[in-house]
Amino acid sequence: MSRRPPRGEYIETDTGNKVARKANLVGTQNIMLGGKTVIQPEAMIRGDLARSVQPSSSSGGAPASNTAVAIGRYCFLSRGCCLRPPGRLYKGAFTYMALRVGDHVFIGPGSVIQAASIGSHVHIGANVVIGELAIIKEYVKILDGTVVPANMVIPSFSIVAGQPARVIGELPEGGHEAFELRELYKTVGNNPQPAPS
Amino acid sequence: MSSSSSKRHSILPPTSTSGPKPPVQFSSSITIADSTVLTGSNPILISSESVLHPRSRIDSLAGRISIGRRCIIHERATLGSVGTSGRITERGVTLGDYVTVEVGASVEAGDTVVGEGTVVGVGAKIGAGAVIGRNCTITARSVIAAGEVLRDNTVVYSNGMRRVDRRGVAELRKKGQARQIGVLRMMIPSNPGKFQ
Repeated sequence: MSRRPPRGEYIETDTGNKVARKANLVGTQNIMLGGKTVIQPEAMIRGDLARSVQPSSSSGGAPASNTAVAIGRYCFLSRGCCLRPPGRLYKGAFTYMALRVGDHVFIGPGSVIQAASIGSHVHIGANVVIGELAIIKEYVKILDGTVVPANMVIPSFSIVAGQPARVIGELPEGGHEAFELRELYKTVGNNPQPAPS
Repeated sequence: MSSSSSKRHSILPPTSTSGPKPPVQFSSSITIADSTVLTGSNPILISSESVLHPRSRIDSLAGRISIGRRCIIHERATLGSVGTSGRITERGVTLGDYVTVEVGASVEAGDTVVGEGTVVGVGAKIGAGAVIGRNCTITARSVIAAGEVLRDNTVVYSNGMRRVDRRGVAELRKKGQARQIGVLRMMIPSNPGKFQ
């Protein structure tokens, strides 16, 4: 009776995630999207590399979560980027650790992210490499082509560039609105709206 | 609503499998993901316990590819792409044992040799005919020019700087790699039959 609507380039979920049909998501059962997240074509997320060693029960018997990649709201994963959980030797056994990404995180095209955690309101440029188990705090701007070495901790309000990465500046006070990705979210999808000028 | 209607085919689009299958010689203990791409016309040899992640790419058009024991080829890494020279040689790329080729790295073909225990970092490029020694570290996004020769234990970092690794952690690194392979074998569904 009703014809199926034409297949768009993106799958739009109930929670507002826009996932490109040409994105490579491996191990989807271990990937958590917080909602209103855009995943562009050819982006890759390695959810199959889940934690293989559970941390000992010192954490008070919290339910064992198997999430490999957790992404917050209004994140934007550009074309060709790759998110994969970092791996390390933990108590003599090799295990992958979870990769946690906050809200309003922009990841530029061609970037490879192996961080342990990325805070909210982080802008990562194009062709950036984030080494294994790096920790990026809130409000950080990482310029194009940066190589963040493994285990680096980047404090809040930093501007980071270089190969290897160095903190080259500080974000000015009050410039936080520039990190909001709500407008960018509206410009992609199956019926994109033009960006406000 | 039946569960089949919510099935989404988009999650892993099929990889292009155009062209003839290259002749392969696999050890029985390797782990090769279903979406690995093997192309070319020369033989591809993969020794025991090596792991090929999904979407890694091996092209034997410009010469034979041989991968040593306990190597890890990460996703989107490319082995044996025809370099700018376009040279076609008998031995395209030779990886020693315990070599790691990280995400998006590329090793061009043309008598290229990567020595035992070397790590090729994320997005690094090894030019055609380069000879990398043992236990070298090519850090992320470094470029090794065609025909360059690196001595053992060299670290290439910060876009072309060199130093010698004197930590002596090569044996520990190998142990770690063996553990990592043990975990990856459980995680990555292997399908060597597809390529044979």
